[in-house]
Amino acid sequence: MTVTSPPVPQIPLATGHQSRLVRVVRDEAWTGALVVLFAALLLWQSTQITAWGAFELQTLATSTLPLIFLALAQGIVVIAGGIDLSVGAQMVLFNCVSALFMEGRGLVACLLIALGTVVLGMAVGALTGWVVSRSGVPDIIVTLATSFIWLGVALLVMPAPGGGTAPGFQTLVSGSGSAFWPALLCVAAPLLLVWGPLRRSRAGLSIYALGSDPRAAFLAGVDARRARMTAYAVAGLFLALAGLATTAYTGGGQASAAVGSTATLNAVAAVVLGGIALTGGVGGLVGPILAVWCLFLIPANLLTLGVDPSYGEVVKGIVIVLVVLGGSLLRRTWSRS
Amino acid sequence: MPQTPDLLEVREVAKSYGPVRALRSADLTVAPGEIHALLGANGAGKSTLVKMLSGALRPDSGTIAVAGRQVRFSSPVDARAAGIAPVFQDPALVPHLSVADNFTLTGTDRAAVVGWIERLELQVDLAERVNSLPLALLRMLDLARALAHDPQLLLLDEITAALPTDFADRVFGVMREWRDNGRSVLFISHRLTEVQEICDRATILRDGRAVDTHRTSEGGEARIVAAMLGERAARVDLPQAAASAASATAEPRLVVEDLATGARLKGVSLTVAPGEVVGVVSLEGQGEDELFLSLAGDLKARSGRILVDGVAVRGRHPLQAIRKGITLVPSDRQFAVLPQRSIRDNLALPLYASMRSWGWVNARAERRAVDSAVDQLEIDTRAADQARQLSGGNQQKLTIGRWLVGGYDVMLCFDPTRGIDVGTKHQIYRLLRQEASEGRSVLMFTSELREVRLVCDRVIVLHDGRVVAQMPAAEADEERLLNAMHDLAPVEAR
Repeated sequence: MTVTSPPVPQIPLATGHQSRLVRVVRDEAWTGALVVLFAALLLWQSTQITAWGAFELQTLATSTLPLIFLALAQGIVVIAGGIDLSVGAQMVLFNCVSALFMEGRGLVACLLIALGTVVLGMAVGALTGWVVSRSGVPDIIVTLATSFIWLGVALLVMPAPGGGTAPGFQTLVSGSGSAFWPALLCVAAPLLLVWGPLRRSRAGLSIYALGSDPRAAFLAGVDARRARMTAYAVAGLFLALAGLATTAYTGGGQASAAVGSTATLNAVAAVVLGGIALTGGVGGLVGPILAVWCLFLIPANLLTLGVDPSYGEVVKGIVIVLVVLGGSLLRRTWSRS
Repeated sequence: MPQTPDLLEVREVAKSYGPVRALRSADLTVAPGEIHALLGANGAGKSTLVKMLSGALRPDSGTIAVAGRQVRFSSPVDARAAGIAPVFQDPALVPHLSVADNFTLTGTDRAAVVGWIERLELQVDLAERVNSLPLALLRMLDLARALAHDPQLLLLDEITAALPTDFADRVFGVMREWRDNGRSVLFISHRLTEVQEICDRATILRDGRAVDTHRTSEGGEARIVAAMLGERAARVDLPQAAASAASATAEPRLVVEDLATGARLKGVSLTVAPGEVVGVVSLEGQGEDELFLSLAGDLKARSGRILVDGVAVRGRHPLQAIRKGITLVPSDRQFAVLPQRSIRDNLALPLYASMRSWGWVNARAERRAVDSAVDQLEIDTRAADQARQLSGGNQQKLTIGRWLVGGYDVMLCFDPTRGIDVGTKHQIYRLLRQEASEGRSVLMFTSELREVRLVCDRVIVLHDGRVVAQMPAAEADEERLLNAMHDLAPVEAR
C-alpha cells in the first residue's frame, strides 16, 4: 500500500529556458524604461541647444553629483525596508565638516580629509542603524530626530557660509573645462567598488532579505541588526560622498536647513522614480541615478523652451506620478498573468 | 527504541503569550533513525513547539537536548548548527531574491543543494525570483535546502498540505531514506493516513501537553483521534438548542454555488435558510478563511455565484455585501473594533455607513438602537469610553452587536468565541439562537467542535477547499467531525 494524498491538480512547474529572456525583460523593465526616458530627454535637449555637446553633459553630470549620492544612500536604506529622513541634513553636515578642514590646504591633505569624512559618514550611518534596531522606534522617527541633530551640529561647525577646498580637489571631482567624465567616474567608482561586490555577497543579500520579508529573513538566519547597520553604514558612505561633492562643486560649505530638506525630498523622489519599492527589497541602484538625471533634465529643458521654472517643477511632479502609476499598473498586470 | 540515546529530548517545555498559555508542559523524544509524528488539534501547541525546535522562539521554561547535550537556541542559525533543519508550510524563502541568492543567503553548499534538486526531480531555473514560483515548488526547494545542510533531524511542518501527490511521494521517499541512513525526521501533519503509513512513533499534544506517545503500529488512527480529543470525547454535551423552527423546505436565504478563489478554496456550494444556523468546521488552511472572506466581499472569487434571496451578489467590496445584508464578524476582533472609540461609536458604526447624506446623525434613533443592543448583549458598560479597555468577550459582543444595530440578513461569524470565557460564550450561543429564531441566518465557522451541537442546526465540513461532509448538528459528534475533517472514511453514527 502506498500513501495516497488527496488529488491536487498538477501545477506546471517547468520554468523553461525560453522564459529567461522574459524574466530579464520583466526584472529590468523599469531601468529600461528610465533609459528610454533619459535618452529622449537628452535628445530633446540636444535639438534645442545649437552648440549642444560636452559642456551640457558636464553641467548635467557635475551639478547632479550630490543628489545622485543622496539618492543612492536613500536607495540602500529603502531596499533594507527603511527610510532615512536625515540624508539631506547629513549631506549638509559632511559638506560643512569637509569645507572647514579643507580650507587653505593642498590636494593631498584634502584627499586625506575626504577619506576621514567617508569614515565619519559610515560611523554615523552605523550608529543610526544601531539605534533603529536597538530601540525598535520606527526609522522614520529616528531619522527625523537625527536630521535636526545633524543640522544643528553643522551650524555649530560652520555658523556662517565659509570654508574652502583645494582647487585640485575641485578639478578632480568636477573636471576641468568641459570634461564630464571625472564626475561620471566619481559615481561609477563607489558603485562598482562598494555596491557591486556587496550586492552579490551575503551581507548585501541580507539587506535585500530584510527589506523583502523580515520573517523569512529571520528564519533564513539573517541577523537583522547587522544587516540594518550595514545598510545604513553604506548609505553613510554615500552621504559623505554627497557632502564632499557639494564641497567640490561650491568650493565651500553652508549649513542651510532649506538645502537639507529639499535634498531629502528629492532623494525620495529619485528613489521612487528609480524603481525602488518603498515597501523594501525591490530595485537596484542604477535606476535612481537615471531618475536623478531625468529629474534634472525636465525643468532644464522646459527652461530652454522659455517656460516659467515654476511650471518645470509642476511637470516634474506630474511625471513622477505618471511613471510610478504606470509602473504599478504594469506590475499588477504581470503578477496576474 | 530503547537503549540508544535519544537524538532529541524535550522536557517540560512551556511557553505563554501574555495570558495565553500556548504550551504548558510538553515532552518529546526522537530516537536516531526514526520518523516521529507530532500531532494535535488546532491550538494544541504544535506550532509553538516547532518554533522552539527551529530556534525561532525561546521557551519560558523546560529543557531541550540534542544528542544528550542541552541546547539553547537564540536564532534559527543555532538550530541549524545543532543539526536541526526545519521546512515550514510557508517556505522561509525571501520573495524578492532569486532561488540561487536565497541559497547564498543561508550559506548553503551549492553542489549539495543542486544534487538534492536533481534527486527530487525539480525543474527550476535557479535565477528565477522566488515570488514568481508556485508555492508547492518553493516548499520542495526549501526541503532541498534543508537536506543540503545534512541535518541529524529534519523538521517537516505540514509540508504535505496542498502538495501535489507526486511531490508528496517524493517527500516520503526522502523521509524513508533519511531514516535508513540513521537520521531522524519529525513530521507534523493533519493527514492521519500519511502518519499511519510512514511514521514509526507519534506524540500527540492536547491543550499544551503531550498526552500520548505510541508506536503507530499499535493503536491506529482511532487511538490518535481519541488522544487528540481526550476527556471531551466521553463527556456528553446536552444539545441546548434543539433544531429551531428552521425547515429545509423554506426558500434558502443564502445560496453559494461552486465558489472558488484559487489554490485554497476550490469549489464550495452551500445554502443557509432563514432561521438557520449552519456550522462550518475544518482543519486549518482548508479554504475556510477564503470562503468567509469572499462571502463578505473582502476577497474576489474566481468563479462561482453568491445569491441572497435569489439575487446574485457581485462585487469586491464589503460594502456591497453589507448592502445585500451579508455581514462578517471576523476571526480577529482587533480588525473590527475601533479601540479608541466608545462602545456607542463602535455599535453605531453601520448607521454612519448607511447614511445617505453626510449630514447630522439622528442622535435619538442612534441611542435607541444602541441601547437595545447593549441590553440584548448584556455588554458591560463600565468602560464605555474606549473599547480597548473592554475584555475580549465584551469586545466580541461589540463586533456582533454592531450588526444588531445595523441590521442584516446573513451573519458570517468566524470562530466568534475564540479566546473568550465560558460565560460570555454561552451568552453568544444564546444570542445566535435567538437571532435565528427571529428568522435571520447565521453561517458560523468554529474551531471548537462541541459548539456545533450547542449552536448549529446543520454542519458542513471542509477539506482541501471542498465540502466533504454535511450532517445535521444532532448527529455531529466530535469523533465524526474529526474523521470528516481529516477526510477519513466516515464512522457509523452511534
